[in-house]
Amino acid sequence: MEVAFGAGDGDDEATAIVARSEASLGTIFEQSYRPWRGELGPRWMRNYAIYRHHVYGVFTGKGHRQYHPMVRLMILVIFLGSLTPIPMLFLSSLFGDDGGFFDKMWGINRYNLWGQVLGYFPRNLCMWPLLTAIVVGGMISDDRQHGTSAIYFSRPVSRLDYTAMKYASVAVILGFVIVFSYFAYYTSAIVFKGEGWAYLSDTLPMFLSGILAGVILVITYTSIGLALSSISQSRFFAAIGFLSIIYGTKIVSQLVEWTFETTFLYVISPYDCLAHLGQLLLGLPLNYEHPVSFSIVSLIAMNGISIWILVSRVSSLEVTRE
Amino acid sequence: MSDEHESPIITTERLNKMYGSHLAIDGINLEIPRGAIGILGPNGAGKSTLFKCLLGLITTTSGEGTVLGHDIRTEGESIRSKIGYMPEYNALDPNLFAVDQVRYAGELLGMNSKTATQRAHEVLEYVGLKDQRYRKIETFSTGMMQATKLACALVHDPEILICDEPTNGLDQRARSFMLQTLKRTVVEGERSVLMSSHVMDDVQEVCDSIVMIHKGKIVLQGYFDDFAEQVDKEIEVVIWGGASRMEEELATDGLEARRLGRVIRIKVESESTVDKILNAAVRAEVQVRQMKEYEPDLEDIFLLVMEKLGSEIKGSSELMTPEHTGES
Repeated sequence: MEVAFGAGDGDDEATAIVARSEASLGTIFEQSYRPWRGELGPRWMRNYAIYRHHVYGVFTGKGHRQYHPMVRLMILVIFLGSLTPIPMLFLSSLFGDDGGFFDKMWGINRYNLWGQVLGYFPRNLCMWPLLTAIVVGGMISDDRQHGTSAIYFSRPVSRLDYTAMKYASVAVILGFVIVFSYFAYYTSAIVFKGEGWAYLSDTLPMFLSGILAGVILVITYTSIGLALSSISQSRFFAAIGFLSIIYGTKIVSQLVEWTFETTFLYVISPYDCLAHLGQLLLGLPLNYEHPVSFSIVSLIAMNGISIWILVSRVSSLEVTRE
Repeated sequence: MSDEHESPIITTERLNKMYGSHLAIDGINLEIPRGAIGILGPNGAGKSTLFKCLLGLITTTSGEGTVLGHDIRTEGESIRSKIGYMPEYNALDPNLFAVDQVRYAGELLGMNSKTATQRAHEVLEYVGLKDQRYRKIETFSTGMMQATKLACALVHDPEILICDEPTNGLDQRARSFMLQTLKRTVVEGERSVLMSSHVMDDVQEVCDSIVMIHKGKIVLQGYFDDFAEQVDKEIEVVIWGGASRMEEELATDGLEARRLGRVIRIKVESESTVDKILNAAVRAEVQVRQMKEYEPDLEDIFLLVMEKLGSEIKGSSELMTPEHTGES
């Protein structure tokens, strides 16, 4: 202040005293390299990471593969839809409806066990194909689209492991909804009706046959769906492609049956081949005129071709550029 | 220094790779020491194919090679466990948070989830994304995505970091930070960096040795300082008021000069070159505003080699696509 307003000539001690912060400015960001001396785990840990990333994402999007909330809601709706016979069994047990309407419609018998997995309406018309389409759509096509295959193949993840874990992830999600709901249905029937060992020994072979049919359905849908996902960069293409194959082959075969009165063309329909084989497994009268061996061969061919496409397309996934 | 540190980290001998009838790699003999190495070459030279061979991702047609002592033909998985690869193109899931993407990259190497998460936080801080860890990658700028890719590559503290065009599409600030980070990884982290780039300045800033590939063959391999000595020494003068006249006068004196506007670089042929330049300036009646010995850079070495190979490339910028410059 003396400098500015004082009476001197201003030449002596012409310095201003200003406040100076004692605080150090510090460093906002200090970059330092931190080494890591840990041990990397074996192959199963890498594979489990892929599996977990895809499966846990269905339950929680946090930190794992992102499934759209609508997709997760749809999976929940389909899962709950597949459990609808259980409350009916409960009502049946409440009403004491042994051999009555509820029991015929939802009780444990060959037709109902077959229908729980392979019934066309609503399961194979509305639920299973839709479930597969929404789960499998982006499974590999997303890696193609975003180039994330490089994340896998620049690490010690082989193409076999990558394919197998993607396959297992889809199969487990489908299996949880399709096979687990079937298991829950059978188990709840025993629990609600208080059935004993004799009932169990009577129905267990049927139940296991149904499980086998369900597993074959899961494998077939997973193979076809993943093959479609592997040939595209669009999850929409894979989903629509899958629905087109399931519904398209069914409709064409149906039209041919109505026009020419032959069921032979059903061998091109994955659903009908599965339904045909399922009828054989559960000991039901066969709805198709052509031998069941045709359907079995067709299923083997469908799975074989799908897996061949899947493997060859995964082999073409690039690390350096897509 | 121990033998381990003196021995080369990558060696190849008569390495060949054919795609059908196309020879992508033609008898490459490499001996890459520890440190930072720049891999240079025009598009289609074979850089990416070489990386794939070194990562053990493709089977070589003939020849042999080792990375950190592992055979590239049979021990691909062991090699990829010890290498961090930062791909040129986008390789990130846009729906994930950065920390989850890096953690998953670690888990894919065999790290358990807890360790991978801890390490993801560390490397994201290292690449300057500490405050963006919990942002979705789809909201990231190109620079942040490049940094995330680098973090994915560094998550397991690899012995060798392979970076394919790490400064692609980055602005000046992000580019500078990326190069500084790579340099720090070499100097402070004592890791080796193998870096391919079209931007010579970037390679020069990080690397001390280079490997130049052209049409699948190695045309140059060694330390940058050694090459610089082989390039003709030049004197750079900045001329004011008649650079064309000056150029003519220099030619009259038999001096070899190349002009870039008012900057003229004159090849040093003898001790009298400086006197000749000054005399030429007097005769041309121009002002010499600046005169200094010109330090050859990597661009000069690159152009010299390309010229010897008969290529008509005028500069490394001609090799860049819009993706490199971020204009796409």
